[in-house]
Order: sequence, then C-alpha cells, then structure tokens
Amino acid sequence: MVYITSWDEFVERSAQLFRADPDSTRYVMKYRHCDGKLVLKVTDDKECLKFKTDQAQDAKKMEKLNNIFFTLMSRGPDGKEQTEAQSGKKGRGRKQ
Amino acid sequence: MVLLQLDPFLNELTSMFEQSTEKGTVWVTLKRSSLKSKVQRNKMATAGEPVEYRCLIRATNGKKTISTSVGAKDHQRFQASYTTILKAHMTALKKRERKDKKKAAGADKKEGSKKP
Repeated sequence: MVYITSWDEFVERSAQLFRADPDSTRYVMKYRHCDGKLVLKVTDDKECLKFKTDQAQDAKKMEKLNNIFFTLMSRGPDGKEQTEAQSGKKGRGRKQ
Repeated sequence: MVLLQLDPFLNELTSMFEQSTEKGTVWVTLKRSSLKSKVQRNKMATAGEPVEYRCLIRATNGKKTISTSVGAKDHQRFQASYTTILKAHMTALKKRERKDKKKAAGADKKEGSKKP
C-alpha cells in the first residue's frame, strides 16, 4: 500500500489529488481504539495515498486536515462560497 | 445505509466510538457530492444555476452504517462538533515523549525476592 511517511507530504498530495478531481476524491479515516491505531486514506480511485500512525500528535494534525477537507468539499474546490456569508449580526433592536 | 440529520448523526457517531472501544473499528469517509444524479447536474449546469455542493459523511463500525450530508452553512458547526468527538475518543494513541526517561537502563527493580 502507498503509505506516506511525511505528514506534510501527505497533506500536500491529498490536496492536489482533490483539486485535480474533486468529484471522485474521497477521504477515509479508520480508527481502532483497541490497537491504538489511526489510518488515513485519500484516493481518487486512480491513485491512493495512505498515512498511518499511533501518535496522539498526529491526531491533532489530522483535525486540521479534516478542516481543510470540509471546507474544500462543502464550498467547491475553488474555495468559492456557495451561500453568501451573512455578515453582521441581526439587529436586536436597541431601544434608545 | 441510514441517512440522518446532522445532530442525530453526531450522536450515533459518538455511540459508535463508545461501542468499539474494546474491539472493533470506526471508519469515517468524507466525500464531496451534490447528491443529484448526473442528468440533473448537467441540466443545472446548462441552465446556469450554480450546482450546490455538499459534503457527504459516512461512518460505519463494520455492522451499521450511518451518513449525513453537510452543506456550506452547516459545515462549520459540524466541524466543531466532529473535532470534539474525535478528540474525546482518540485516547488510545500514544503520546510521544521526546525525552526518553532513562532511569538507568538496567534499573534493578527490587522484586523482593526472598533469599533463603
């Protein structure tokens, strides 16, 4: 299996894979508590990248990667916001 | 395959993690999908409407599969809850100790062997 040893390389290549083909790229996470192991996989069904770890610090890095993927996936690969962000708080009507 | 709303999905995911502490695996898959068939998508594209993309999230413990679909509006909220759940449950991973505490490599532990 294509296991990547460097976290940064894994992240960079995953992002590239996704940008190249956002519709078929998926990110899989497998966690086994009994073994204390975490495996991440990113594939577009042509190429597959994997990363495995048993370190708690990698879990933290994975959370950041999760955020990246969530944003990419729900917003479209260009990073455009699908829905217009509603900025500004709704006025609660201060009575002066 | 059970398609749930955001909050029930998070609850089910939590219980999955709890159930597979002693034995078993939890798989979580993330994929972008607009949840519409190709035909519909092509129609939307030609009609000039922006295709709405959602993030499909699936979770399974090998026996049961649950899923949910997150859009751009909900994704931040989902992300926060998801991160919390993961942090709470991924406790089995090792914490790296930079300094190897070498307390005399051949530390003799007094076994308290009784010598006759």
